[in-house]
Amino acid sequence: MLMLVIQKELRDILTSTKFIVSFASCSLLILLAFVMGAAGYRTEVARVDAARRENLKQMEGQTDWMMVRNNRIFLPPQPLAALVTGVADDIGRTMDVRGRGEIPQEDTRYGEEPVFAMFRFLDLEFIFQVVLSLFAIVFAFDAVSGEKERGTLRLSFANPLPRSTFMAGKLAGSFLALAVPLLLPILIGCAVFTWMGVPLSSDEWMRLALIIGAGLLYFGAFLTIGITISAVTARSSTSFLALLVIWILSVLIIPRSAILIAGRAVDVPSLDDINAKKFRYAEQLFAEDRTAMSAFSPAEKSDPRKMIEEFQKFMGNVNDARERKMDDFSSRLNEERANAQQVQSAVALGIARISPATCFTLAASALAGTSLALQDRYLAQAKGYQETFAKFILGKTGVNPGGGMVFRMRVGDGAQEKPIDTHELPVFEYRPPVLGDVLPAALPDAGILAACIFLFFGIAHAAFRRYDLR
Amino acid sequence: MFGTVLVKELKAVLLTPKFPATFAVCSILIVLSVFIGIREYRTAAARYTEGVDLAAQTLRTQSTWMNLSTTAYRKPDPMQVFVPGVTGDVGRLSSVNSTEDVKLRNSAYGDDPIFALFRSIDFAFIVQVVLSLFAILFTYDAINGEREGGTLQLTFAGAVPRPTYILAKLAGAWTALVVPLLVPVLLGLLLVMVYGVPLGSEGWARCAMFMLASLLYFTFFIALGVLISALTRSPATSFLGALAAWVVLVLIVPRIAVMAAGAAHPVPSIAETEGWIDAFAKDRWDQQMKTLSTRWQARQASMEGMSTGEREAYQQSKQQEWANDDDASRQEVQKDIDAYRVRVNEEQANRVAAQEGLAFALARVSPAAAYQIASMRLGGTGVEMKALNESAMRDYRRAFTQYTAGKQKESGTQGGFRITVDSQTGFHFSAPRERGTLDVSDVPVFRPPSKRFGEDTASALVDTGIIAVLVLLSCAGAFVAFMRYDVR
Repeated sequence: MLMLVIQKELRDILTSTKFIVSFASCSLLILLAFVMGAAGYRTEVARVDAARRENLKQMEGQTDWMMVRNNRIFLPPQPLAALVTGVADDIGRTMDVRGRGEIPQEDTRYGEEPVFAMFRFLDLEFIFQVVLSLFAIVFAFDAVSGEKERGTLRLSFANPLPRSTFMAGKLAGSFLALAVPLLLPILIGCAVFTWMGVPLSSDEWMRLALIIGAGLLYFGAFLTIGITISAVTARSSTSFLALLVIWILSVLIIPRSAILIAGRAVDVPSLDDINAKKFRYAEQLFAEDRTAMSAFSPAEKSDPRKMIEEFQKFMGNVNDARERKMDDFSSRLNEERANAQQVQSAVALGIARISPATCFTLAASALAGTSLALQDRYLAQAKGYQETFAKFILGKTGVNPGGGMVFRMRVGDGAQEKPIDTHELPVFEYRPPVLGDVLPAALPDAGILAACIFLFFGIAHAAFRRYDLR
Repeated sequence: MFGTVLVKELKAVLLTPKFPATFAVCSILIVLSVFIGIREYRTAAARYTEGVDLAAQTLRTQSTWMNLSTTAYRKPDPMQVFVPGVTGDVGRLSSVNSTEDVKLRNSAYGDDPIFALFRSIDFAFIVQVVLSLFAILFTYDAINGEREGGTLQLTFAGAVPRPTYILAKLAGAWTALVVPLLVPVLLGLLLVMVYGVPLGSEGWARCAMFMLASLLYFTFFIALGVLISALTRSPATSFLGALAAWVVLVLIVPRIAVMAAGAAHPVPSIAETEGWIDAFAKDRWDQQMKTLSTRWQARQASMEGMSTGEREAYQQSKQQEWANDDDASRQEVQKDIDAYRVRVNEEQANRVAAQEGLAFALARVSPAAAYQIASMRLGGTGVEMKALNESAMRDYRRAFTQYTAGKQKESGTQGGFRITVDSQTGFHFSAPRERGTLDVSDVPVFRPPSKRFGEDTASALVDTGIIAVLVLLSCAGAFVAFMRYDVR
C-alpha cells in the first residue's frame, strides 16, 4: 500500500506542469551557480598569483636578506568557497608577516570591491537556502489540503488506506519526486565545475557531497514542514499563506534579527580600544628603547665594523626584549576579545538556530571551510608561517629584525654584491581544512535539521489523524 | 463606475482572511527593521565617537613630531537607519601619517565576522524582498481569479468599459495595499524621531525621496501581479509565473549582473597595486641610498687631511647644512613616490568605476537593483561612500603632514636619531631631546566629507525613473492584455 501511495505521489508530481517549470528553473539556477562560481574562482586565482609576483618583485635586487623584513601572504581562493561563500569575502585576505609580533590583516573582498557587497554572489548555498526552500513550499502547500479541495483525498480513503501509510507515502513520495531529480543538475554542475578548471581534491569532493547532503536535508525539512501545515489546514490558500510567512520568517528574518539582537547584547571589547592600547604601549616601549640606545657604549672603540656588529647584536637583544613584552601585552588583550567573541557567537548563533536556514548555512559553510572558523584558521597558519619566516631570516642574517630598527652597514669597497634569490624565501601555503576537521562543527547543525524532519514527521502524522477528509 | 469597481476591489483585498495576517506580518517587520536600524546606527555612532576620542587621546601621548600618527574615522550617516548599504563592508578608519597612504581598513563586518553571516535587516531590505512578495501575493489572481470564480463574467454582463475596469483594479489594489502600510511606516518614522536620530533637514529630504522610491517599487510589483494575472487563464499558473518573476528580478538578476561585470572587467587587486607602488618606492629609495652614499663619501673627502679638532669643528659648522640637504633629497624621493601612488590610485579608481558602471547597467534591468542603487545613493551608503571618504582623508593627510612638518621645523629637532661610527671618534648615538608630550592643541581635525545632496538626488532620480518607467510599462501591459482577455 505504501509503495502504491509513493508511486501515485511520484506520478502526480513528475507529470505536472508546475514541476517541469520549477524544476527547469531550479536546474538552470544550480548550473548557473556552478558556472559563475568556477569563473569567479579562476579570476581570483589569477589575481592572487599577480599579487604574489608583485610581492616577490619588491625583494628582487636586494643584496642583503636583512632588508627583507616582512613578507606579504595571501589567502588563496578555495574551490569550495566559490560554491559556499560563507564569510570568506568578509575576512582580510592579505597579511603582512614580520619576523615577530602581531600580523596586520587587510583587504577584505567586499571592502576592496564594495559593488560585490551591494549585490553579492549567486552561490550554491544561496540557491539551496532561498530558492530550493521556496521550491519545497510550492509543492508542499497543497499536498494534503489541495487533494482535499480536488476531491481526490476522499477517493483515496474510500480504499482501506491507513492514515499513517498515506502520510508516510506522501512525505516519502514528495521527497523522492523533488529531491532526486535535483541530483541531475547538481551532478552536471559538478562536471562543469571540474571542466572549467577548478581543482578539487578527493577530500573536497567528499565535503561537497556532504554539503549537497545538508542541502537535501534542509530541503526535506521545508518539505516536511510544508506537508504538515497542509495537513492542518482545510484550504490550500490558507496553507500557502502560512507557509510563505514561515518561509519569510525562517529564511529572511530570524537569522538576521537573532544575530543582530543577541549578538549586540553580548559585550565584546572593541577592536579600536584594543588597538589604541597597543599603540600607546608600543610608544612607551619605543621610548624606553631610545633611552637604552643612547646609553649604549661599544666595548671595542677602534674598529667601526666591530662596533657596528656589537651594535647590531645589542639592537637584536633590545628588539627581542621589547617584542616579548609587546607579545605578552597583545596576547592578553587578544585573548580577552576572543573569549568574549566565543560567548557572543554561542549565544547569537544558538538563538538563530531556531531557523533551519541558519542550521543549513552553518553546516554548509563549516563543511566548505568558510565559516567563522576560517578567520582563526588563517591566523593560526599565518602565525606558523611567521615562525618559519623568522627562522629563515635568522638563518640568513643572524638577526630576527621583527619590527625594530635595522642597522645595516654598506662596505664601500665597490664589490658587486650578489642579489638575493627570492625563490629561497619560504612560501606560504594555506592548508584548507579536511573532513575530519570540519565534521564535528557541521554535524550538530545537520542533526538539528534531521531532528526537525523527524519532529514534523511526527506532527504531520498526529495532525492528519484528526483531519477531515471530505 | 470607476468608483464602484474601486470600492469592490478594496473590499476584495481588505476583507479577505489573508489581508489581516499579511498586514500584521508586514507591519511587524517594518517596525522591527526600523528599530534594528536605529540600534545599529547608534552602535556605529557610539563606535565612531569612541574612536575619535581615542585618536585624540593617542595624539596627545606621542612624543615626536616626525612620526606623528593619527587615525581618521568615517562618520556613520543617520540614513543608515533605513538603508545601511555597504557601511558594514567598507573600512571605518584609516591611519594618517607621513609615511603610509590613506586606506580604509577595519570594516565592521571584518572586525566582527559573525554579523557578516546573515548581514542586516533594514527597511530597504523589507521593502525590496518582503513587501514585493506580498504585493504579488495579493494581485496574482486579480483578473484570472475572478474569471475562475465566475464574477468577471457577471461584472461584464453590465456595461462596464474595459479600460475603466482595469484602471479601477489597479487603483483599488494599490490603495488597499499602500494605505494600510502607511501606518507602520509612520510608526517607524516616529521611532526615528523619538530616538533622536539626527537626520537634519537634508536627511529628512533624502528620507522623503527614499520613501517615494520605495512606494514606486512596491507599485511596480502590484502592477506586475495584475499584468501576469491578465496574461494567464488560471491563478495556479499566474501564481507560479509571478513567483518565478519575483525570484528572477529580486534575487537572481542583481547577483548575476555583478558577477558578469566582475568577470568581464576584472580589476587588479589592491594587493597587486600596492605591490607596484612598493616596488617603485623600493627602487627610488635604492637610488636615494646610492646618492646618499656618494654624497657621504664626498663629505668625507672634503675633510681629508684635517686634524681631529679641525674635523670636529668643520662637522659642527656643516651639520645643519648637511641635514637640510639630506632632508631635501629625502622629501624629493617621497614626492616622487607620492606622485606615482596618486597615478596608480587614479587608474585603479577608473577601472573600478568602469566595472561598477557595467555592473549597474546590467543590473538595472531589475527594479530591485534600481531600487537598491537609488536607496543607497540617497542614504549615502553606496559604493561611492568609500571613494568619497578616502579622498577626503587624503586631503586631510596633506594638511596633517604639512602641520607636522611645520612643527618639526619649529621645534628644531630633526627627529629620528643619528648614529655616527668613526674609527677615530668611536660610536655616537643621539636621539632628539624628549620634551615630554607635544602640544597638539592646534592640530587639524578630520572633517567628514560633506554630502552632495544635488548629485545624490540626481543619480537616485535616474534609478527611480527606471522604476517609474517599469511601472508604466506594466500598467500599460496589463491594460493591453486585459483588452484582449476572454472574460468567460
